[in-house]
Amino acid sequence: MIVIKRDGSEVAFNQQKIIDAICAAMNSTKKKGDSELAQKIADKVTRKISKLEKVDIEHIQDEVQSALMNSRRKDAAEAYIGYREIRTLKRRERSSLDKKVLGLLELTNEEVLKENSNKDGATIPTQRDLLAGIMAKDFAQTYMIPKRVVGAHNSGDLHFHDQDYSPYFPIYNCMLIDLKGMLENGFKLGNAQIETPKSITTATAITAQIIAQVASHIYGGNTINEIDRILAPYVFESFKKHYRKGLEWLYMLEKDEIEDIDISWENKKLHKKYPRCFEYAKSLTEKETYDAFQSLEYEINTLVSANGQTPFSTFGFGRGLSWAERQIQIAILQNRIRGLGRDGKTAIFPKLIFGLEEGVNLKPGDPNYDIKQLALKCSTLRMYPDIISVPKVKEITGSFKFPMGCRSFLGRYEENGEELHDGRFNMGVVTANLPRIAVKANGSEAAFYRLLDELLEVCKEGLMYRIERLKGVKAKVAPILYMEGAAGSRLQPEDTIDHLLKNGRASISLGYIGIHETMMALYGTCLFDDQELRNKGLQIVQYLSQKAEQWKEETGYGFSLYSTPAESLCYRFCRLDEEKFGRVEGVTDKGYYTNSFHLDVNKKVTPFEKIQFEKDYPQYASGGFITYCEFDSMVNNPEALEAVWDYAYERVPYFGTNTPTDRCLECGFEGEFEATNTGFECPNCGNANPKTSSVIRRCCGYLSEPSQRPFNAGKQKEVLSRVKHM
Amino acid sequence: MSLMNIADYKRFDVINGRGLRHSIFTSGCTHHCKGCFNAATWNFNYGKPYTEELEEQIIGDLNMPDVQITGLSILGGEPFQNVDGLLRLASRVRNECSGKDIWVWSGYTFEEIIADDNKRKLLSCCDVLIDGKFILEQRNLKLKWRGSNNQRVIDVKESLRTKQAVLMPL
Repeated sequence: MIVIKRDGSEVAFNQQKIIDAICAAMNSTKKKGDSELAQKIADKVTRKISKLEKVDIEHIQDEVQSALMNSRRKDAAEAYIGYREIRTLKRRERSSLDKKVLGLLELTNEEVLKENSNKDGATIPTQRDLLAGIMAKDFAQTYMIPKRVVGAHNSGDLHFHDQDYSPYFPIYNCMLIDLKGMLENGFKLGNAQIETPKSITTATAITAQIIAQVASHIYGGNTINEIDRILAPYVFESFKKHYRKGLEWLYMLEKDEIEDIDISWENKKLHKKYPRCFEYAKSLTEKETYDAFQSLEYEINTLVSANGQTPFSTFGFGRGLSWAERQIQIAILQNRIRGLGRDGKTAIFPKLIFGLEEGVNLKPGDPNYDIKQLALKCSTLRMYPDIISVPKVKEITGSFKFPMGCRSFLGRYEENGEELHDGRFNMGVVTANLPRIAVKANGSEAAFYRLLDELLEVCKEGLMYRIERLKGVKAKVAPILYMEGAAGSRLQPEDTIDHLLKNGRASISLGYIGIHETMMALYGTCLFDDQELRNKGLQIVQYLSQKAEQWKEETGYGFSLYSTPAESLCYRFCRLDEEKFGRVEGVTDKGYYTNSFHLDVNKKVTPFEKIQFEKDYPQYASGGFITYCEFDSMVNNPEALEAVWDYAYERVPYFGTNTPTDRCLECGFEGEFEATNTGFECPNCGNANPKTSSVIRRCCGYLSEPSQRPFNAGKQKEVLSRVKHM
Repeated sequence: MSLMNIADYKRFDVINGRGLRHSIFTSGCTHHCKGCFNAATWNFNYGKPYTEELEEQIIGDLNMPDVQITGLSILGGEPFQNVDGLLRLASRVRNECSGKDIWVWSGYTFEEIIADDNKRKLLSCCDVLIDGKFILEQRNLKLKWRGSNNQRVIDVKESLRTKQAVLMPL
């Protein structure tokens, strides 16, 4: 007799397998096994099917099941049925997992392929990363994340972010790299021991290596906080190096003589004595700094981290006043203005953020006002830099630092009586779907807050699990972070990282989405148009902030409220809610949810009204925020952008402008390409070839090139709906 | 009866002229350039009547305290076919909005404008003139503040002083 297995293959019948299965079912009960009875039942089943030439495995199992049911061991029958059900379920799960993997193989799994516009899902290293992500997520949902949280995530009540990495891996979100500590104290990278660099060229080369390494050990963005200040000492080192050469070749000094000279930028007497040498060293150092930052920009845009993508990297700069710091600021901006490659394409990474500050660079007469002008020019051409208002960030977050990645801000934290920023990180995010509970509340504010409380309990459970997963993790799992200093610590391999998580050193963030849709669902009008509704919108965010604060006090961990960027989430939540509630006017009918506290992208207001409307939110969402305005091209008009920056500086902590910075490589047109059904087209010459077009749009916090790699459907709708604010 | 009709008043314009500006588009134009970006405004009755209230608003908007506004831009239609209405506005801006400049766009050339006393009067209130018809065959979107290669960006004060068109350094 032949048995047909589930996969269609055929094997010879073997009665012992039936006996084993029955014994296993019996053994899992309280009454335990009875091999004699098992033999009897197996004989009975065999007799029944023996006339058949071929028999299906399911048929045999049905017979075993009914024979057991008719025996005195009904308990074993139940165990056998239960066992069959679990196996069926497993098979079904397995096949859905297989489907995802197959979708990746055949490039049909849009959700996985387009979740992150920074990943080119078609390439092999990225596919390896995506494959690992599919498995990690499946495993985490089945065995790790608390069941209530998994259920809420899958139904769309909340979003437990980045499951392709965390919690399967004990890995965190985003960080400020302690580059200063690493360069000053040296560190090990792969097989090499790195000492303190002796020139800006080496310093930037090492910086690129560090960024690549760090980006492979975390899943969110990394920031070099005040890169001009951190790397300035190495510009001075280069200056000394060139000065020594100058003394040797321009003034014919002996090597021993040179050794004894105290060369420093401040040594004016020396420069008076060797004026040509000073000019020579200064000029060579400026060129070297420019070249060093050009290499760094190329490195970051060309390298692929172990996560299968260009590292999400950010440079914060602009506050340094020394000659060296100014040279770095100029080098960063001039390189960005120049663009990448022969065609001078806009660099996507690193994100640039320029710190504006009165007395430094804000007003004519400030020492770095010239650099603000350069930053303005750069921003009109390349969209970056965005700006940070230094006093506003201090006021809202308690101390000054640039954001981690695109918008996550740390709170104030002290170690040994000093403010500490670099080396700190964010442990992850869970985002609450506010519009959903607003629709469910059916116009009742009380019901909304009741549902919100319930939802926040589940969010908290998810966040606590994120922390739990990092506790007890040993330094050796990410040497670059914990042993070599990127996270500001030099631990031994077997040490745990627990102390880095506590007391607000690291943040853990509750995210939220769609204040606009939430208000539409609750009150039926756009909150922009009604002062009372504006207050109510603010109250929701204030309420979330209080919850985060309460959790912080309860647990001692750095809970904060974060305005989630929601690149793919804006689409996912809306799609799930449309499935659930149908088309709800002003809520689910647009195909996307609005980012955090942002004004509806389709609302026609002036940039100043938008800034005014959004300015009150960051003080509550102090764990992450940004305000954007949409403009026509200002390539010809940096003066206009300056007026907008100056207005924003007084009112919001973090501000970016979305202006068309598209370029036609055929006719040289700079401005805005027209979106067509098939892509983008130059309005001057009609060129629609993606290879000779540079079309850049902001997608969440970072830039993207949608002409090369299209957005997900919801994001595309959101981008197409954006109106210009003027 | 209003002096002229206004096709549009656009605040916070970053396209038409240097800096952050407010722009007024007058109705009525007889040039009828081929490929005109705003042909609806050829009709002198297009849009809505220019009113005292609008004039007050423009003066107020130019002087707003929180935002650095560089000046007023006057486009059309053909502004120089609405001289009477604009003259009052332009001289009020001159008197009441210190530090704000006025840019004006015209299908007439500088030479044509200064040959006509009335037009010349309006021009003398302005700082920058973009002159000449839009010529479709010479369309070029890469130009600053202009649509076709024949058009010029003219420094009005310097040109009136020297009695010839002096280009603005761009």
